[in-house]
Parts: sequence; structure tokens; C-alpha cells
Amino acid sequence: MFENLAPKKIDLKEWSRQFRSLDTDFINKFFYYKNNDWGRYLFPPAIFMVYGARQLKHLKLDNSLASLRVWGFSFNESERLFRAKQSGKKVIATMGDLGTVPIIVMAFPDCIPFYPDCTWWTPFFNESNVLLDRASEMGVPEASCFVRSALAAFDKKAYFPKPDLLFASTGASCDDYSCIMQMVGNLGYDIIWLEMPFRRHTAKYFVGDKYKTTNQGLEYPERFEDYLVTEYKKVWAKMVELTGINDLELLRENIKKTNRLRRLVENIKNLTYEVEIVPFPALEMMVIEFGNLYGYADFDEWLDICEMVYETIKERTRKGIGVLKPDAIPIAWVMPTADPILLNLVEDLGGRVVATEYVINQALAQIEEQGDPFNALARSFLNASLIGSTEERVRRITEKVEQGRVRGVIITNMLGASHCSMETRLIEKMLSKVPVLSLDVPSPLGITEQLKTRIAAFMETLR
Amino acid sequence: MPISFASALISAFYFREMKDILTPRERFGLLVIDEKPDRCNIIPLITSHSAKVKGVKLKDYYTNGEIMARAQIAAIEEYGHDAISIFSEVGIIAEAMGSEFFYPEDDLPVLKSPILAQTNIDNINIPNPEKDKRLPVYLEAVEYAYQALGDKVPILAYVPAPFTTGMMLSDPNKFLIQTIKEPEYIKKVLEKSSQAAIEFCYHIIDAGGLPILVDPLASSSVISPKTYKEFALPYESAVIDFLHRYDLDVILHICGNTTPILDLLPETDADLISIDQVDLKTVLEKLSKRIRIIGNFDTSKLLFFSKENIANEVKNMVKLGMSAPKGYIASTGCEVPTHAPKENVKAFIKAAKEVGWYWD
Amino acid sequence: MELIGYSCSYIPVEILAATELRPYRLLHGEVNLSKQGEKLVRVDACPMVKSNLSYIMNNQDKFRALVGSTGCDMSRRMFDVVSELTDIPVYVINNPRTDRVQIFNDEIDWLIKQLEHLSGKKFSDDLIAQETEKWENAREHLRQIDEKRGANPSLVSTTNFHKAVMNYYQGNITDKIEITEEISNKPRVYLLGSAITYESNQILKLLEKELRIVGDYNCGLSRFLNIRIGDKTLNGIKDVYYNQPSCIFKRPNNKFFEFIQNEIKKLDCIGIVAWTLDYCDIYEYELQKIETAFNLPVLRIKSDFSFQNLSQLRTRIGAFAEMLCSKT
Repeated sequence: MFENLAPKKIDLKEWSRQFRSLDTDFINKFFYYKNNDWGRYLFPPAIFMVYGARQLKHLKLDNSLASLRVWGFSFNESERLFRAKQSGKKVIATMGDLGTVPIIVMAFPDCIPFYPDCTWWTPFFNESNVLLDRASEMGVPEASCFVRSALAAFDKKAYFPKPDLLFASTGASCDDYSCIMQMVGNLGYDIIWLEMPFRRHTAKYFVGDKYKTTNQGLEYPERFEDYLVTEYKKVWAKMVELTGINDLELLRENIKKTNRLRRLVENIKNLTYEVEIVPFPALEMMVIEFGNLYGYADFDEWLDICEMVYETIKERTRKGIGVLKPDAIPIAWVMPTADPILLNLVEDLGGRVVATEYVINQALAQIEEQGDPFNALARSFLNASLIGSTEERVRRITEKVEQGRVRGVIITNMLGASHCSMETRLIEKMLSKVPVLSLDVPSPLGITEQLKTRIAAFMETLR
Repeated sequence: MPISFASALISAFYFREMKDILTPRERFGLLVIDEKPDRCNIIPLITSHSAKVKGVKLKDYYTNGEIMARAQIAAIEEYGHDAISIFSEVGIIAEAMGSEFFYPEDDLPVLKSPILAQTNIDNINIPNPEKDKRLPVYLEAVEYAYQALGDKVPILAYVPAPFTTGMMLSDPNKFLIQTIKEPEYIKKVLEKSSQAAIEFCYHIIDAGGLPILVDPLASSSVISPKTYKEFALPYESAVIDFLHRYDLDVILHICGNTTPILDLLPETDADLISIDQVDLKTVLEKLSKRIRIIGNFDTSKLLFFSKENIANEVKNMVKLGMSAPKGYIASTGCEVPTHAPKENVKAFIKAAKEVGWYWD
Repeated sequence: MELIGYSCSYIPVEILAATELRPYRLLHGEVNLSKQGEKLVRVDACPMVKSNLSYIMNNQDKFRALVGSTGCDMSRRMFDVVSELTDIPVYVINNPRTDRVQIFNDEIDWLIKQLEHLSGKKFSDDLIAQETEKWENAREHLRQIDEKRGANPSLVSTTNFHKAVMNYYQGNITDKIEITEEISNKPRVYLLGSAITYESNQILKLLEKELRIVGDYNCGLSRFLNIRIGDKTLNGIKDVYYNQPSCIFKRPNNKFFEFIQNEIKKLDCIGIVAWTLDYCDIYEYELQKIETAFNLPVLRIKSDFSFQNLSQLRTRIGAFAEMLCSKT
């Protein structure tokens, strides 16, 4: 479906027109939780716009069926979580760790993990300060990470159902979110706290600790694995208590399934970022990358969607066609942008994203399938972007800069977010072989002409 | 008023009542996924009445999209209810298909010359909502309201259902006679009206509105249940089916007496039924397990009753309505009269808010 | 004597001192230093972190080593910046936010190994006991001053107390400071919040023109006095440091609020001063709760050390004091 259309990014109205050509039986083929009554999700962007996602009026999205599934599925997530609860599934909120706890949760049948963290995009997709204003009323400082939306979402109870369990990971990560999580606890939610250790890499003057290396080449003291194993066993125990099921084989199976998705996404990224003509836009790629965290609350369906995405990209690559001009300028993007429109904007101005550091390295890494699953998860998590040094975090970008595969870097910060304020200058320095543009993402509807001019000027310098 | 200022004012309005944690958008969103919101949605049918709230002439209201939207925004500011209702009268599609209407300065349009009195349905095209007659006015109103408040308030756009449009394409009496004498021709008319309604819905959706189907001329106050079943229901159902392709939750509004067709209404597949002159208890017994109920305060009482009486009746109505398992929206049975005293409308909304809480 | 800088109340100063370096708490906070720090980190970093960063960069030759913890994310990352830009050995320990005593103990053990290697000395039991005794004596002396501060009426101002504790923080524990007593019957308040820095004495002076700060939970003031080490062994040190009154960064942090509640009651406070630095997440996020948790009036003061609106601040402090007086 739509394969005969030349790939391009289209706006909401064009998508509505394109959607008309689909017959109802075809639309009804795609549903989540194996429920084709309320579980359908293949709808054009206009539908989500009608229900409040105002930015869809301004965004341009890929015109493939795969992209339609990506958007329909991801925008449908809020309803999906409520439906999960209604249909007797357990809904488990996991906060802060970005990628590992859901793997344990999903090992249990009918248990659906989700990240309230992902509501940080809601104000931007809705072009609305409703959640941010509510967070301010609750005492969150204005100059802080947009993830403060999550606190308002917990307060309002209108974005996801009351979770059956709530795991919050704190420790060596950003303080904004640690404070948000505490405030969620203050609302009366029962939180199971997990500790994330600081991944201290070795130094020539260190002695004593035995070090190991993750599969992404990051060093850590061996005993830190045990610290994490203790946390993951705590998660496991809570899940056993909740479900009455205790079968480690399920966890092993789920690790394998998770690895399938991660491999698939890695292939998608490698192909998209390497070929001459960009087959898939950066905005969809960001959504795909974040899908690794928990499959947007239906892992199996999300895996299927990513397989379709991969086929689409392969087909476009085979045909030598894509969504951007061949001379699009390769750039690296550091920090996921809270405002999705910036990705559209940069592509419209002639850029193409070829490398990303979206604070979720831990959700991209493969997990060992042999041996103790908890240790395997711990080793995988120790790849996490924010628990170590800045140099480690941007190492893969640095390599691409050194190799000349990136002509510029864009860093999207948030004013007041703790790690942004401390890391950005270092990152600029580390990547200074190429021009670096560091932006503060403004509040919803805050992108000014001045900001657009800055980005345009930056792209010009890269040309 | 600049759009951003309107939005800020509305924010202030909604959040000055401390218990209102949700915005109308959030509240409606929970209702349509079968979740209980903080309180029941309160959506009296404030349509042309908003022109009086804003202090604009009715003619300006229904011929200028921006004015229509601003009037609706003014009504939201004044009353703090839970949706914007883009609507003026039911002839809008018929007009775009060729029927002529007379525009009084300070009253709603009146059918002057039905198109089917001059030509056959085969010669009538499906109107283009972006160009034909006042359809673009509606779309402009939807877009304006959506831009101003769409993050906080659902924008409902009322679409005349095929039967009602059919009646406006013709002389209504003749139309009814033709349902007996020339049923196949009428069905052709209704088929085309369905296509016109669907086309209009497409554009409303793209503008940001949620299409609501209104079929006042299909009520049992006008036609028999048999006529309804053959000539109104299938075409309501066709439009609703179309909207269900998009997973939209469809409101079907039929004012007047719908008691004789209550058992038929579920066949339309509407997700929410807006009722008028029918016993609420009966409706709840028959329909509320499957369909969400909207209604049904007698709008004439907004003109003639005292605030206190209005408040008492509304409270009883809402308490009853909230027992609906599938969900309930507190509303009027039909449009709030244009000249209804503001205090009375406020009394309605205040009373509904006092008793309409689901959450502690 | 060369310095060993450190950033956190959970880092046992006794262990640092065992290296024979002078433990130096990184408590700088001053507008010029902060501005200098903006060359290295963004403007929206904590002004104390920026100041400390500048101080370290300007005085690299003074610091033999630096020890940090993960108690505060910006503070932890400050050490990352220092590692990138200087050759100063940096040791950052995991300071668990949750109840993971094992991690804390292991990290202290690790730190000791590093400091032994750094100093070329073995930290024997005797050495540990000696250092503990020394520092415990220093704390005891300052506790006596603190008791006078908290007495009713208060006998010692926090302004003067601050000058005394600065010595402790800067590792000068051999000089015994004598404090002039000044009785005060001004409204008794408790100070909470971001650290009072070495350069912030003026804010204390301003506050105490109208109020008397009789107690605090502050990393730049008396918080360290909660460390009472009876068992002068390594285990004793670990135990007391880990179990000190809970920091606000702990998760959950209800024990912090319980501790403060008890202190306020013990000290007969009738008001609270909440002092926060710009972008201090740890405290800024908690301000609304602080305002309601203790059933006392709260004066919020936010600063980036520039103290630009001193007259406005004076007025606010005056009004707060008046309000407190009218309640008694």
C-alpha cells in the first residue's frame, strides 16, 4: 500500500487525502492487544489532531504505510494504556532508567510497562502549556526539564491509568527527574525506588577495583554489576508478588525478543544513516529509536511495525529513492529534541541526521542471552548515556566526527535541566572539529523567527 | 481579542475552580475511552446564543467564521462549559447544494427556495466545503477556535444528517410525501446528502473539529418510526460508519421526541446519543449500557424558569444521568435559546458542576 | 599544606585527613567566580558549582586531589569537567540516593584504597582512630557554640557561627575560634536550603538584622555537627556518615522532613528561611512542600550570589520578621 507513491514528507491534509484510498478492511487489519474492536490504530494524523495533537497541523511526516503505523500506534498509546487496564492487564510505570526495567516487566504475561517520562513530548505535540502550567502550580521551577509534564500527568490522571506498580530509578542521573519522581511520591503514589550507580571509568591513578567493559566499550567496576542485579531482582520479586508467576525462562525469552527489536532498529538506523539518499525522515527515526524503551505498550505490535519500517527503507534504498535531496548535509544530533518540529525544520533547511545521542544508549545495546539474565541486564544497562562521563556519552559521535562523516552537530538543550547545563560546553569542546549549534528548546509555540534564522544560518555555514 | 489572550483567559477561568483539575479536552478524552473523568462533561448546546453573549448580530455570526468562533470563545469565557459548538442551523449543506436561504439580520437563515423544486437530484453536485456557500464559514470557525483553544477544549462541529439535509433540499412536506410515493428517488437524494455530509466531515476533521451529526427533522415529532427506520437511520449510519473508519466517537443529536425510536437508535452505531423530549430514566434503562447519553434539560426552561428552579432540575437530571454506565454528558435537549438570560445558563452549568463529580 | 578538596557531607573528612592533606570543602559561591565558571559550563548551572569550578581552575596547584559524590548531579558532573580540563586526580564516589548501605560502604572502602595509594600511606586502625578523635574534638567544640546559638534566648548569631565553621570546612581545626556572644530575642528561625558558601556571610548578616537563625540544616553551616563518631573505627565512621540525618536528595525523602520537624520543635522556631540558589534542583523542587510541611511561615530567598536587589530583600526580611512578631 502506497509503495507506488514517490517517498516524500507530506502534511496533514495530504495524509488525509492519501488515507482515503485505504479500504476499511485494510484499516481494520492493524490493531493492538489482539483486539480489533477498540484496538485499531491505523488512522491519519488528522484524527490525533482532532483529539488535541495540534502540532500535527504543522509537521510533515513520511508518506509510507510504515510511517502511518508508526504515528498511529505511538499517538494511540495513552488510550492503549487505559484499555490495557480495562482489559485486565497490569500497567506498570517505570521511570528514569530508560530501557531496562520494562524488559523484566514484559517477561510477565499481560503486564504492560510504560514510561511516564515520554509525556515530555505531549506539550509540544499538543502545542499546549497545560501540563507545564500544572507542574508550575505544583511547585516545579519553570527552568527545568520538560519531563515535568510527567508530574502533571500523574496529578491529572488523564494521560495514563493509575499504575499497578511504579518503579522509579534514581542515582547517577539527572536531578530534575529525581525531584519529579519524589514529587510523584508526594502525591501519594507508592514508589519502588531503584538505584542507578555512577559508572566510574578507570583512571591511571586508580587502584583496587577490577574493571570490565560493556559491549559498547565502556568501562565499569565489576561490583557495580552486582548493585544493579540487586535492583533488578527487587523488580522481579515485586512482579512475582503482583502476578504470582516466577519463571526465569520468561525473562530469557523476553531478552531475546528485546534483542530482536534492538537489532532491527540498529539495522534501520545503519541503513538510514549510511545511504546516500535518506530513505526515512529524522522525526520518525526518533520515534523508532525511543520505541526500544518499551515498544509503546505493545511490544509485539511495535516489533511488527519496525519490521515494516525496515522493509520500506530497504525497498527505497534498493530503488535509490528517498525523502530528502541527495546533497542533504550530514549532521549529528545530541539530546532528543523535546519539540519535534525542530527535526522537520533542520531537514527543510537541507540537513540530514546521520548520528544521534538521545540519552538512551542503554536501550540500543544488545543484551547477552546466555548466562544469568539479571547480570546480562545489568551489563546492558551499564551502557547508559547519563550515568557516566560526558566523553563516554558522545564517544560514538566523536568517532563519526573524526571520520568526517558528520559535518555539523546540533545539541538541543533545555534551560535548567541539570545535565544539559553541565555537559553542553564539554560536548561542544569534544566535537569542535565541526561547527556545533547548541539550542535551548523553548516552551511549546516558542520557536521564534530568530531561532529559525539561527538554525538556517548554521546550516548555511555547513554547506 | 488576540488568540493567545483568549487562551490565557480561558485557562484562568477553568483553573480558578480548584476542583477542576482536568481541562475539557482531557475530560472529554477520558469519557470517550470509557474512563470516568473528574466530573461529567457539561456541554449545553450553546450555538447561536453565543452571538448574544458576544454581542454580535446573528447574521454576522453565521456568515463569518471568525465571528462565529469568537462568539463561541466568548461563551466559553462567560460560562466555562466543556466544548465549543460550531453550528448555526441545519440548512448549511442543503444551501451548499443549491437551496436558497433568506438571511434575516438578527435571526437564523430560513429556507426560501429548495433546489429540488427546480431540478433533479442527478443535477446536483457534492459541494466543495472549501468553496461552496457557507461551508467555508464553518471551516474557518473550526480552525479559528481550534487554534485559539484546541489544546484545552474540544471543538465540536455540527453536521446536518442526510435526512435533515434532504428535507432542506426539498419542500419538507413534499419530501415526506415522496418517501411514500417515490422512495427510490428520496433514497437517491439521501445518498447524495450522505456523500455531501461525509465530504464536509473530511474537511471538518482536517480543520480540527469533531463532527457531530444532527438530525432534528428525523425526530418522532416530525416523522414516524417507520419512516425513520427506512429513510433516516441507514444514512445516519452511513455517515457514522465513515467516521468510525477514523475511530472518531460520534455524537448523534436528534431533538424533539425520540421515545418511539429509542430502540432503533443503537442501530445507527452512534457512540453518544443526544436526546431531548424523552424521559431520561427510560433512556438510561434502554440505552446507557451500550451508548453514552447526552442531555436533556428542556431548553425552553432556560427562557422562562427561575435560576433556582433551573438549578434544582439540573441537579436531579445530572444525578440521574451520572448513573449511566457508559458515560454521560450534561446538556440541554436542544439549542440554548438565543435570548436565554445569561444567569439562567450560568445556573445550569453551576448546578451541574455542583453535583457532577465522579472523583472524590 | 596541599589541599584535598571535597564536595559532600557524606564524605568522611577523617579519611581525607588521613592522607595528611588538608581537607577543603568546596563551598565557594560568589558572583565573579560564578561568572568565570560560565566559560566552562552553561549559565543555567548552579552558581555554587560554577564558583567551585572556577576556584579549582584558578587554584589547580593547591589541590592535590578532589573527592566528590553523586549526591548532586551537577556537582558530580563538575568533577567530570575538572577531569577533562586538568590533571588533578578526581575520585567520585557513589552516594546512594536509596537505602543501599552496601554501595556506600564499598565506595568508602574504594576511596580509602585510592587515598592510601595517593598518599603512599596505609590507613591503619590507629591512624583512623587518631584522625577521628581530632575531628570529633573539633566538632565537639563547635557543638558547644552551636548549643549557645540554639539556646533560648539565643546567645550566638549564625553570622558569627558561620565564621567559626568556615575554619572546619577549610580544614583548619587546630585554631580554636572564640565567638563573641550576642543575646538576641529576635524571632527564632530555622534555615534550610542550598549551601551557605564562604562568601555568603553577608546574607546571614542581613537576615540576622531582623531575625535570629537558631538552627539550620545546611551544608555550609551546622549540618556536619550531626556526625558524632563514638566507635572510632572505619566501620564506626561509615555507620555514622551513612546514617546521618537524611539528606533531601534521598529517595524517599520523608525522613528529611521528619528530622527537620523535630529540630524546629526542639529549637522553638517560629519561622523558616528557605535559601535556594538558582537552578538548585534539589531544593527548588521541594520549596512548595517546605512551605506546607512544617506549619510555619516560610521566607523564600533565591540567589545567584549577585545580590542585586538588596533593598528589596531587606524589606522582605523586615516584613517577614514583623509578621513573625505579630504572631507571638
